[in-house]
Amino acid sequence: MILALTKRHLKLFFRDKASVFFSLLSVIIIIALYVLFLGDMISGSMASTPGFRYVMDSWIMAGVLAVTSFTTTMGAFGIMVDDRAKQLRKDFDVAPIARWQLILSYVISAFIIGVLMSIVTLVLAELYILAYGGSLLSFSSFVKLLGLILVSVAMSSAFVYFIVSFFRSQNAFSTASTLVGTLIGFLTGIYIPIGNLPDAVQWVVRVFPISHAGAAFRQVMMEDAMQVTFAGLTPEQFNLSAFKESLGVTLSLGSDPLPMSAHILIMIVTGLLFFGLTVLFASLKKKKLN
Amino acid sequence: MNPIIEVKGLVKTYGSIRAVDHLDFYVEPGKLFAFLGPNGAGKSTTINVLCTLLKPDEGEVRIASHRLGEDDEAIRRSIGIVFQESVLDPLLTVQENLWTRGSFYGKQKSQLAQAVQAAMKAVEVQDLAHRRYGTLSGGQRRRVDIARALLHQPQVLFLDEPTTGLDPQTRKNVWETIQQLQLQHGMTVFLTTHYMEEAANADYVIVLDEGKIAARGTPLELKEQYSNDSLQFKPRNLEEARTTLLHRGVVWKEVSDLVIVALESTLDAFPLLQALQDNIVGFQVLNGTMDDAFVGITGKEMRP
Repeated sequence: MILALTKRHLKLFFRDKASVFFSLLSVIIIIALYVLFLGDMISGSMASTPGFRYVMDSWIMAGVLAVTSFTTTMGAFGIMVDDRAKQLRKDFDVAPIARWQLILSYVISAFIIGVLMSIVTLVLAELYILAYGGSLLSFSSFVKLLGLILVSVAMSSAFVYFIVSFFRSQNAFSTASTLVGTLIGFLTGIYIPIGNLPDAVQWVVRVFPISHAGAAFRQVMMEDAMQVTFAGLTPEQFNLSAFKESLGVTLSLGSDPLPMSAHILIMIVTGLLFFGLTVLFASLKKKKLN
Repeated sequence: MNPIIEVKGLVKTYGSIRAVDHLDFYVEPGKLFAFLGPNGAGKSTTINVLCTLLKPDEGEVRIASHRLGEDDEAIRRSIGIVFQESVLDPLLTVQENLWTRGSFYGKQKSQLAQAVQAAMKAVEVQDLAHRRYGTLSGGQRRRVDIARALLHQPQVLFLDEPTTGLDPQTRKNVWETIQQLQLQHGMTVFLTTHYMEEAANADYVIVLDEGKIAARGTPLELKEQYSNDSLQFKPRNLEEARTTLLHRGVVWKEVSDLVIVALESTLDAFPLLQALQDNIVGFQVLNGTMDDAFVGITGKEMRP
């Protein structure tokens, strides 16, 4: 029953070409901006360093991956909003299905869509990096990224479900998705590296959970690029940890940069938090009705 | 026989508006039962309550001997619903739509395949199995909607304005399908409509007006009780005919060269015709229609 519903949601999502496109819109915008001018702007004087392009391509693609894992999950929840807005839900409500089964089917399908789209994005990103002189990720990095995608999409599913449960109309939902799609590039320090932002804004980026997905993706995707490019430079010539800090490869809430495990933990805790909030709100709403 | 639907003292209010006001009725199994009324009479509200979509404010409802509010899941298993507007997925094929919905009723795969085939066969949409629902015509969609409602072989089939928005030919087809389901499969059919001629085909009709039952009975009973037959004739000499009618104390209407006399019963036409026999070019006796009955009951013209 849940399986059949999940299948339905997946088919509906992938058959609606527009919804697939719009869930990727912010990603397309980021890449376009990067190719056109952001790339040169961020690289600045470093641009002439051999291999630097590989570093920066890996950097932007890691950011893109973080955004994809969120926006495609959000796009997938469009099905749920649609069902409610167009009253298709009635057909499920008159059938002997429990509410939790229905909700679970939406969440599972959003998760699957988020993971699939992220993997597709990762593959395309790798091709882009390769085409511009970089090299492919090692197998172990690829596996690590897959793990991170799973965690990040799971967090996004819980996060987006919480937001979406407030929307009753298709309009409100698409406005919110556009808004989120636009803002997310800033909030995760992708359009402008965190180091170039004012202090207060830097803190917003640091506490925004998806930034931690971004940092985690960057650490894995840029590892090889940074090693190859900056190997010959001494700490006096080039301050690697400052560089990482300013591009948001590492984030620090105190004095030391957070380890990978902390990023993963933050994502898991965020996911659980929003899951808890959703359950809490749902039970409050139920009480009010009775 | 025990009624399959029993409704006692049903009340549903929206804010200060009482959409359904103390309804009492029952439906016998295997019958075609029609709720007739203008928009806003409370037909859809009643159907939504019976289908477990809306909670009633007051009253008791039993469907297939399950109590509403206590055994909703069992009710959901024993009813099929065709909503006024489409609730299937335009991007899925007919078969995919039916397959998804069929899975809600916890069937095994082979049973499910069988149920989908049987439902498509019942409304003759097998040829459309692989077409996307969104590409179908209005009438085809309606058939598929009905197939969806039949997937779990419900005891009662609810249809909320099943023929609204369809062209006359398609309406007739859909209606025939519904009657076939009732007659051949012994299904209880509960439908709402604002088309008189459809209500005339039902076994039992309840006329709903402003949330209350305005009249109930078989179509024949309603017509007899609330509408009048009439005698229409064309006189050779109008003046003479007027005198005859005046003399007999009847009230009449004149429309161009026709004289129309309202009759208490069809047989009352005989003495009139005898009195007028030398003065008549042509005549006909018309039976009261459901339209007349409706006007008689509610004092309103039917607004579609």
